[in-house]
Amino acid sequence: MRASTQGPQAAEVLYARLLGKGTYSYAPAIDRDAARGCIAADGLPVFRAEAWKYSNVGKWYQAALAPAEAPSVGETCVPDGVELHRFDEPAARPFLADHLGAAIDLARHPLAAVNRILLGSGVVVRVPAGRRIDEPVNVDDIGAAYEHILLIVEPGAELALVETPITATHRVVECIVAEGARLMHRRVQPRGQAPQCGLIAAKVDEEAHYSLWLVARGTELRRNDIHVTLAGRGAEAHLNGAWRLGDREHLDNQVTVDHLAPECTSRQTFRGVVGGRARAVLNGRIHIAAGAQASDASLTTKNLLESTDAEVYAKPELEIYANDVRCSHGATVGALDEAMLFYCESRGIDRDAARGLLLRGFLREAIAGEEAIGVLAAGFSGAGEPLGATPAEDVASAGGEVQ
Amino acid sequence: MPLLDIEDLHVQVEDQVILGGVHLTVAPGEVHAVMGPNGSGKSTLANVVAGRPGYEVLRGTVRLAGEDITQASPEERALLGLFLAFQYPIEIPGVSNMEFLKAAIDSHALARGEGAPSAAAFIRRARATAERLGLDAGFLKRGVNEGFSGGEKKRNEILQMLLLEPRIAILDETDSGLDVDAMQVVAAGVNDFRDTGNAVVLVTHYQRLLDYIVPDHVHVLAGGNIIRSGDRTLAELLDRDGYSWIEDAC
Amino acid sequence: MSDTSERTDDAIDTLVSSEYAAGFVTDIETETFPPGLDESVVRAISAKKEEPAWMTEWRLEAYRGWRAMTPPRWAHVHFPEIDFESISYFAAPRGDKPASLDEVDPELLRTYDRLGIPLHEQAMLAGVEGAGRTPVAVDAVFDSVSIATTFKEQLKDAGVVFCSMAEAVREHPELVQRYLGTVVPRSDNFYAALNSAVFSDGSFVYVPKGTRCPMELSTYFRINAENTGQFERTLIIADEGASVSYLEGCTAPMRDENQLHAAVVELVALGDADIKYSTVQNWYPGDDEGRGGIYNFVTKRGACLGARSKISWTQVETGSAITWKYPSVVLRGEGSVGEFYSVALTNNLQQADTGTKMIHMAPNTKSTIISKGISAGRSQNTYRGLVRTAPNAHGARNYTQCDSLLIGDQCGAHTFPYIESRQPSAVVEHEATTSKVSDDQLFLCRQRGIDAEKAVAMIVGGFCKDVFRELPMEFAVEAGKLLEVSLEGAVG
Repeated sequence: MRASTQGPQAAEVLYARLLGKGTYSYAPAIDRDAARGCIAADGLPVFRAEAWKYSNVGKWYQAALAPAEAPSVGETCVPDGVELHRFDEPAARPFLADHLGAAIDLARHPLAAVNRILLGSGVVVRVPAGRRIDEPVNVDDIGAAYEHILLIVEPGAELALVETPITATHRVVECIVAEGARLMHRRVQPRGQAPQCGLIAAKVDEEAHYSLWLVARGTELRRNDIHVTLAGRGAEAHLNGAWRLGDREHLDNQVTVDHLAPECTSRQTFRGVVGGRARAVLNGRIHIAAGAQASDASLTTKNLLESTDAEVYAKPELEIYANDVRCSHGATVGALDEAMLFYCESRGIDRDAARGLLLRGFLREAIAGEEAIGVLAAGFSGAGEPLGATPAEDVASAGGEVQ
Repeated sequence: MPLLDIEDLHVQVEDQVILGGVHLTVAPGEVHAVMGPNGSGKSTLANVVAGRPGYEVLRGTVRLAGEDITQASPEERALLGLFLAFQYPIEIPGVSNMEFLKAAIDSHALARGEGAPSAAAFIRRARATAERLGLDAGFLKRGVNEGFSGGEKKRNEILQMLLLEPRIAILDETDSGLDVDAMQVVAAGVNDFRDTGNAVVLVTHYQRLLDYIVPDHVHVLAGGNIIRSGDRTLAELLDRDGYSWIEDAC
Repeated sequence: MSDTSERTDDAIDTLVSSEYAAGFVTDIETETFPPGLDESVVRAISAKKEEPAWMTEWRLEAYRGWRAMTPPRWAHVHFPEIDFESISYFAAPRGDKPASLDEVDPELLRTYDRLGIPLHEQAMLAGVEGAGRTPVAVDAVFDSVSIATTFKEQLKDAGVVFCSMAEAVREHPELVQRYLGTVVPRSDNFYAALNSAVFSDGSFVYVPKGTRCPMELSTYFRINAENTGQFERTLIIADEGASVSYLEGCTAPMRDENQLHAAVVELVALGDADIKYSTVQNWYPGDDEGRGGIYNFVTKRGACLGARSKISWTQVETGSAITWKYPSVVLRGEGSVGEFYSVALTNNLQQADTGTKMIHMAPNTKSTIISKGISAGRSQNTYRGLVRTAPNAHGARNYTQCDSLLIGDQCGAHTFPYIESRQPSAVVEHEATTSKVSDDQLFLCRQRGIDAEKAVAMIVGGFCKDVFRELPMEFAVEAGKLLEVSLEGAVG
């Protein structure tokens, strides 16, 4: 049935559904008018629009009309000291009133507007002012095709979030990081099938700190919009991402860091390994607003291309409207360095193992931790399993523990 | 007439008063050392005399050979014969040392009512001077302080001083970050420069530079004021006892 | 801030605010078509140029394509819609084309004299600036026509064809038919299509096999008439083993209205050929309130068709109210080389969206991009570049360095590189930085007795050094001076 609905037609059907009359079954009190206004004014993104240059948005429209599988409900664990409210509970109302959408410009993120209109499940996660939570909050699927997770880290509070969106067609994670607060956000996206898009939006206030740690595989079409707004003086953001794609995996990361206030710092480090017939896209935009003096921003993205059928699209962008800034970006695309491989081989490490070693080292420049490497290695089997554990790796990690 | 005459100089930086009434008089032929602990205002004094933006003179005057330069622009001061060797020499990427020096020398010559020296004469002189400071010919072609080591940067400051022939040279922590060999080269350059018509002010934290360049007067700056002046034995005293007695004295 | 720092600002403020030196109008009787564009205008232009039927047809097909197209909107520039019906598509000094320089209207000669463009071969050969200066052959294009081309005879002896495009269509139809529109197709983009329909004049160069062009070639474009667009078309072909260096300069009078300039330049390099194309673009930029100025919407592209061929673009862009320009190289020949060196300076309310495309379509192709953007005043300066490696571009290599320098806190500097890689053994590297003219650098210069005006020019010159050294000597000097003039009043 899905195959019969072409992208452009799907967009029309979806558009009509979004703007049609009807009542909302989930949390009807939530305001959907602004989102409908955006869709009515600008329409849905069209195939080949600049922001969708490298991803066929039509595939997502098809999925949006007919989600591939029933959304599952995963486990959401909340440690002591953290409040959790579903959007349709009365306790959520004051937080929704104060914060819902505060970090999101719906006009710039039309699929987030779609999410708002079709919202099927949402949770508020709140850490009260000054509380430091040691144990991470885990959010898996929360049971709908359109999900919204609203994180509120109040002034001076600290939290780590681990989230793994599996089945949602579109998930919004909205992070409100208040003055002096810290949020460590880990997103793990294992290999999937169905088209999946989402938005991570963070608003980081004065002297607050947001870090994102993204480990991602692809699906038929997976796109992460990531929009971090450094809204208060001295705010800081660290975004790290690593991806490893094969077969026909598709991963499109559209990252924007907005420096709106002075003296903010942002660091972005991305590493991608792309083989098979996969396609990896990174659009990394640094925007320095007028008046955001003494901004310090950098982005590096390095990509290894492993096959002639694979494609890498890298588009780092600087958009700068203040002069007292330190901004830079760098991008490279290439293959593993033959000289490095030869060096390993000359020391008796066979070529596959050497590749594994070098790829791990490469990805670790963005993301450390064997758990991440495990996600990225899954499915790359056999002799060509360059990321699987090797004896050398075991020795290295064992050595580390001994010390 | 003194070459440099600082009178009751009060200076603030970003709403904080750094100098609170400094007096200092330097006559031709003299070498003065201004010493003091970190944060005493030494560098402020050097920079404000050179007219660096960002310092607000609240009160007092600075005269250069009798001329009030308190409100003068940096280049006016420079052309009157004031030279500052920077504590942290500034990099100007892409602009070669040679090009930079020629522009500076030309504008000095112009200010004196002379014509600019010929390129050939200038290059000969610059090369000879660089050689004296142990800098090879390639040094002049490199970008101003671009990728220089700490020692090279400081020697470059001395090179500029020798070529511009100021009446009064203020050396701001020129000894910091130098090994003994480099310090000897720098000191030899300064000693070469000295004559009866010019003067040198050494701003330094340590006494060791004064083993090579012997000062006629030593001043101790602390808490924004010169709290003691004397001859070179004062520097030796500081070297032996450190600055702690000063803090007590404040 | 302190008194001295206010004085710094004052010193910089009082930098002489010099007028755009090329901003005068030549008072000459001009034949201008009434504004508006339809098929009859296209036919009339073609008739004016006494073109053969195939050329007229070629134009008409381009015109029909253009009608169905819309102007591009992706560039980082803002301006009111252009009313293409209010523009006149042809303007020329009245009278027949002069047979020799002696017949050229003295008023025109004076114009080029004032602009410092040598049209008298004798004067050039006399070598006013002494020994070591080699003559430069000039094609002078005034509004829609070429009024003179110098050194034609000498070039002819070497087998080099250097003439106006109109003449080439008549005299060398086989070359024009073979190559025109092959690098920039008529349907390439809105402005290229418009140009293909109405292009007026421009230069044509053919350097035969194994020939090194004996002198630099140059074209000087001048817009003079009011409410007129200039649509020149340049085609340069370097046959196997040939090499040529070509310079392009442009100016226009100061007028309060915006004027459209939509040129197309096509370069073709066959095996082992080498083309170096240098531009100093100094179209009138508009006044300091943003009134007037040229809309410079230009398509420039080279094709390295043969193995080991090389095309190198160097541009110094200081003029125009809006610049939309991406001199590109399509690398089709194995081991061919593309280069792009650019300085783009914007001041006041100027907007520039410029960069390059390097399309690697063959093994072992190499490209280098060095872009230096300087933004001052309230201007917006954007680098936009594409590097693409096709699946068969084994061993391809690209290096890109994009630096921006900001002067003042009211301007913008933007960098939008697109990297599209499909060949694992290809290496693509991009780096970009942003900096400003620092207070410390200014203070160092001033402490050494160099005034603020000179100091800024020196610092900017240092920033641009990597590009200036790619320019032919005389151009480099001119470019340096031009930057200095364009920067006046920029800091404050």
